[in-house]
Amino acid sequence: MPKVSIDGVEVIVPMESTILDAAQKAGIWIPTLCYNPAVTSTANCRLCLVELRRNGRSTLVTSCNYPVRSDIVVSVSSERAQKARRGVMELLLARAPESNELKELAKKMGIDGTPYPTVTEAQRNCILCGLCTRVCEEVIGCSAIGFAGRGTDRFVTTAFRLASEDCIACGACAVVCPVGTIQIRIHEDTGEAEISPFKSRAKLLVCEKCGKRMVTEPVAFQVNDKVKIDWEEFRQRARLCPECRRKRTAESVAIVALKKD
Amino acid sequence: MNSTGTGEAILSPHLISSPAELEALSEKLRKQKDPSTKTVRVCIGPGCAAKGSLKIYDLFTTAAEESPENMKIDSKGVGCHGLCERGPIVIVEHGDVPGEIFYQQVEEPDVAEIFRETVLSGRIVERLLYEDSTTGKKIKSSKEIPFYKTQERIALAQNGLIDPTSINDYIATGGYSALAKALTTMNPEDIIEEVVKSGLRGRGGGGFPTGRKWRSCRDAKGSQKYVICNGDEGDPGAFMDRAVMEGNPHSIIEGMVIGAYAIGSSQGFIYVRNEYPLSVKRLGVAIEQAHKLGFLGKNIMGNSFSFDIRINRGGGAFVCGESTALMASLEGRVGEPRAKYVHTVEHGLHDQPTNLNNVETWATISSIINKGGEWFSSIGTEDSKGTKVFCLVGKIKNTGLVEIPMGMTLRQIIYDIGGGVKNDKAFKAVQTGGPSGGCIPAQFLDTPVGFDELTKLGSMMGSGGMIVIDEDTCVVNFAKYYINFLRQESCGKCTPCREGIPQMLYILERITHGEGEEGDLEKLETLAQLLADASLCALGKTAANPVLSTIKYFQDEYEAHIIEKRCPAKECRGLFSYEIVPDACTGCGICLKNCPVDAISGEKKEPHLIDQDICTKCGTCFEKCPFGAIVKV
Repeated sequence: MPKVSIDGVEVIVPMESTILDAAQKAGIWIPTLCYNPAVTSTANCRLCLVELRRNGRSTLVTSCNYPVRSDIVVSVSSERAQKARRGVMELLLARAPESNELKELAKKMGIDGTPYPTVTEAQRNCILCGLCTRVCEEVIGCSAIGFAGRGTDRFVTTAFRLASEDCIACGACAVVCPVGTIQIRIHEDTGEAEISPFKSRAKLLVCEKCGKRMVTEPVAFQVNDKVKIDWEEFRQRARLCPECRRKRTAESVAIVALKKD
Repeated sequence: MNSTGTGEAILSPHLISSPAELEALSEKLRKQKDPSTKTVRVCIGPGCAAKGSLKIYDLFTTAAEESPENMKIDSKGVGCHGLCERGPIVIVEHGDVPGEIFYQQVEEPDVAEIFRETVLSGRIVERLLYEDSTTGKKIKSSKEIPFYKTQERIALAQNGLIDPTSINDYIATGGYSALAKALTTMNPEDIIEEVVKSGLRGRGGGGFPTGRKWRSCRDAKGSQKYVICNGDEGDPGAFMDRAVMEGNPHSIIEGMVIGAYAIGSSQGFIYVRNEYPLSVKRLGVAIEQAHKLGFLGKNIMGNSFSFDIRINRGGGAFVCGESTALMASLEGRVGEPRAKYVHTVEHGLHDQPTNLNNVETWATISSIINKGGEWFSSIGTEDSKGTKVFCLVGKIKNTGLVEIPMGMTLRQIIYDIGGGVKNDKAFKAVQTGGPSGGCIPAQFLDTPVGFDELTKLGSMMGSGGMIVIDEDTCVVNFAKYYINFLRQESCGKCTPCREGIPQMLYILERITHGEGEEGDLEKLETLAQLLADASLCALGKTAANPVLSTIKYFQDEYEAHIIEKRCPAKECRGLFSYEIVPDACTGCGICLKNCPVDAISGEKKEPHLIDQDICTKCGTCFEKCPFGAIVKV
């Protein structure tokens, strides 16, 4: 197994681990935005750049997808690596000036603001990291959103920019969005969940007993499909929220116990 | 008479199954040509075609068809000759006149004269010959023209000689003999060894040693290996690959078959940009012909080796010239690059070992196999072997396509071959390597051309574009052009390229509008460094080169814009003013009438005057003045 030296800390990792895996093992923090272990690393945000020294030469590589195949020496805190990460962060701050999540991460990196004028183009406050599209495709299996446009005009959208029929309003994209741009909105009046800014909506299941909102219907459908339970049976179980169901179960157990007595 | 249609009659009725058969066919084709045949070769390459050479070719063909029975006249449309500046080019081979006769700037009305005088009677039409601008002497043969004299042609050897739609032409000039040699006398290892020995480095821009790439791909594990020809030529001002694809498509196919045999691949792809419809067509015809004769398909030339090629048309994205983006596009996905930490020779197209080379690289292979790696490595410099095709464009006298041995100096290319700067203006710089390259100023004109030499100057070899700029070109504006080009062509995947390039453009826009601020140069340099360090692919990594190199060599010009709000080249509108030279002004009143803001005043027949406070510097008066009395100051 290859040995990785990160800022002087040596760790041994399995073949093909990434530098980021090794850093985590070594307890060294590397900022990331477009990385999530649940999906393929595409290394497009470039925030996790580290310096790799090899044969007397140094190069910057993205730690989230650089496969460790032999012993390597990595520097996270070198001036060159820090400067590059700072540069990337400054550009992102100009792109998503209103994101508190991004500001917080910048602060953690020791960056206060950006010298660049803010970008006024298409999708402000989206850093185009693509985590949402990857989660939607690879984890949820819906591919309801994707990139459209090219270069500076790129943006994340549903097909034809219309509310998507493929979207199950599961909210996974909102959960992984590192800058808080994707949001789940609950419409009390219609009992729907909306994934903003994609305009996709779905009806929420409501607990028959307490009226609490649960998952959206299409999510329930999909889960049902995956666990292979008869829909009617599922309906019976899904009528109540977990809490009410627990109560009901407890009650029925108590009744059985009472009857036994 | 040779018809140049797409479905030319192929002489051999069956597949060529051995080198002996190929040799026999080649011999037969050569002998078949009557020595008294007069050949007219009309360049129908892109430059000449744009000037109407297709019509000229038609006229010659009709004239040849209508000529007396006993006259054997062969009219051929051939690929680019190189001297596009003097197109359309027509070359006549007449048995009675030794050598060939090179006519330039031929127009439709000249066809009848050339046909009557030269083709039929063997007399030379002096008027259409090339005239040496220094000696004033008329030159009959292309070999004597300074433009061609010092060139050495390997990749372009048959360009302009053969009909690109005729496999017979290619075979008659020794085509596919390298393939025959490789398949019968060499094993894959020998071939790779020969290519390694040749020292050939990738002609697409990266300059990676071709032999080493082939070996890595051969050694890589995979059930199916692929070879790809990258014909997605997209640099502004570059048309090298196009000239080969349209002028000699079989040379690419032959190179690819040899490469596939050496690597162990059975499927190849040619990725051509769809903006080159003629390239697509020519390659298609060539592949079909190669199939008919058995140079492609099952059991090539009687060997157990099988290989096929498919053409894929690119959708117009510049970034698809990048190997990983090209492969993504080939797979039907969005053409976006990926990190190359895992090399494409191991995991490329469809995750299989893939060897990708540029058009010119493939076109060079057959010569290396035929003449040997040692021969190839005897040409060029220590680290850059062989020859390289360049496109000489911009403010240069002889715009065109040249192939020179590596190590020739920029001065020799620009002055001896290119004839120097247009209108004898002062040379300012030459941009090599397209948008990824840099501007090289006059003090480095004696640098020998080679991969490492150009990189040292902050530029790069690239695929071979050479854009010459003169004193009238503003370098800031020039750099801005490239940054704007890259802004439009960035795929948008990674942050530095997508966000950094527009930020650079924003600063450059300000500078050229006279709104530059102190510290702008430092900001540009910081962004440039970030792009080079942090971008995902070569497009972003090299994007800042035009800016960095111009700041490095022409800092004073940037400072004139920023501090003095003045454009020394007088190109940036608003950063210079228009004045009327009283002695040259006749008082005709044209400028006065055309000025949209009434900034010009003056009596009839008296010198006029521009009121600088009202003038918006639109330049209308400058364009309209028939006496050149208005100057930029």
